[in-house]
Amino acid sequence: MTSKQTSFTQTIITVLQKIEVGILIGLLLSMIFMAVLQIVLRNLFDSGILWGDALIRILVLWIGLIGAMVASRNNHHISIDVISRFLPERIKELTNLITAIFTSLVCAVMTYFSIGFVIMEKEDGLMAIANIPVWVCESIIPVSFAIISLRYIILSFTCLSKLLKHIPK
Amino acid sequence: MIYLLIAILILFALLGAPLFSIIIAAAMTGFYFGDIDLSVMAIELYRIADTPILLALPLFTFAGYILGESNTSDRLVRLTQAFFGWMPGGLAIVAFIVCALFTAFTGASGVTIVAMGALLYPALKQAGYKDKFSLGLVTTSGSLGLLLPPSLPLILYGVIAQQMSSGVEISIEKLFIAGILPAILMIILLSLWSIWANRKNRVPLISFSLQKALLAAREAIWEIPLPIFVFTGIYSGFFAVSEAAAVTAMYVLIVEVFIYKEIRFSQLASIIRESMVMVGGILLILGVSLGLTNYLIDAEVPMKLFELCQTYVTSKLVFLILLNIFLLILGAMLDIFSAIIIMVPLMLPVALEYGVDPVHLGIIFLANMQIGYFTPPVGMNLFIAGYRFNKPIMDIYKATIPFMLVLLLAVLIITYWPWLSLVFIS
Repeated sequence: MTSKQTSFTQTIITVLQKIEVGILIGLLLSMIFMAVLQIVLRNLFDSGILWGDALIRILVLWIGLIGAMVASRNNHHISIDVISRFLPERIKELTNLITAIFTSLVCAVMTYFSIGFVIMEKEDGLMAIANIPVWVCESIIPVSFAIISLRYIILSFTCLSKLLKHIPK
Repeated sequence: MIYLLIAILILFALLGAPLFSIIIAAAMTGFYFGDIDLSVMAIELYRIADTPILLALPLFTFAGYILGESNTSDRLVRLTQAFFGWMPGGLAIVAFIVCALFTAFTGASGVTIVAMGALLYPALKQAGYKDKFSLGLVTTSGSLGLLLPPSLPLILYGVIAQQMSSGVEISIEKLFIAGILPAILMIILLSLWSIWANRKNRVPLISFSLQKALLAAREAIWEIPLPIFVFTGIYSGFFAVSEAAAVTAMYVLIVEVFIYKEIRFSQLASIIRESMVMVGGILLILGVSLGLTNYLIDAEVPMKLFELCQTYVTSKLVFLILLNIFLLILGAMLDIFSAIIIMVPLMLPVALEYGVDPVHLGIIFLANMQIGYFTPPVGMNLFIAGYRFNKPIMDIYKATIPFMLVLLLAVLIITYWPWLSLVFIS
């Protein structure tokens, strides 16, 4: 790969990451706005948007899963960090590789089965809010796990290349 | 076979695999051997969208991150010092109160030590407190306030207890009411100890100045209403917790960005990203562990656990003692959110069988976890304080231990005197 190509892929990655965070910001601000609007409508005008509460609850799920996607960029997920801090550097690189492969596999399996779930729900054809079907709201589950899985595959390669550097040619 | 898989998963967890992946793998293994379709995991995860109270999680976290990034800590210290600084032991007591308030709003994620500690540590030393005492105080205060609204761990405990509840009603509002007296007890015991510890070290008193007090109040005029409406709103039942969260998030956003102008728009984007990464991490673990919990209940694991316990532990008292020891160790090793999400589903049914009130259990759980934050050798706040104040970790251990013993006493009182937690709710 030439350096021009690398910088091109880099740009695409940066743009995608910006879009990801942009969506996250948009969703959070609309959630705050919606939640306050519902309170104002309920208390001052004794009314409220019919699908408002359902929308807010679905936004919580979306924000959570997109936040989890962003966390996977640099393995910022909650983990038990008791042994690894006492391990020597080399062994730590190996265990990082193993756990990254493990995580990407688990997320891949999760993606597969949640696609099944979403397809099942699509056949049922229920509506969640206004005329948005339930399966659309649920589709964030397979999408987010697919992306998390992908990110851990990339992380595995990074770990692998670090590890290979130490092996004498 | 199944034991081998469990052992491998535990090993992976200890080696630092993300907790959510361990939970998914464990639940899927269970469902697989139980001949249940694995898409049940996605169904369980979607239950996050069926739990209205969870709205409070992103909103309070966001508000807390904004408060942590602006100069709120500065104003809060000046305000409390102006009003309470004249009392004997004044500044130490001020430190406990402001840290408790600040932690309640920002969560015990180390923000209190980083933001408040930076102000209070030099201030305490300047006022004449010894270095070791001041260091121990700020390290300990980093997790004080977990029992006060709108503490996220307490909300999370409520959410999980509700999912588990078999006929017992556990509202988040009740948990917050139950937390008041235990939180006050901790602050009082710590304050008394501070006065006692400094009895030979005469700290010069400062006199009350009305002018200073008014000035500090005017500076903080926009932030003073915040704890007032969150506390009175939740305690009076005027606001549901999630409504209080929405109003708080909106209010803090407007005040810090448009009135104090301490948060720039570009900063806002990274605050939102960082706070939602944290929320995402917690919600993901919560969502997948709903699946695991479901499996565990199906397999009657809590019941078996209780039977196992009962062969060794017959009295409630012994159970509570063991619970305290277990939680202290757990709190030092696991972060508070994962500890709650993983342990509460297992522990709550067992505790219920021993006759422990679920609300009381929540208070016991968090009070123990609070100490776990600075239990040597691996309590998280010890490392944060060591890093922030540039001190060797051994110094931090030594400075913190007296405070830890005081809080241990508080935890014992809280555990064995249920009245303290339950007086206002029954």
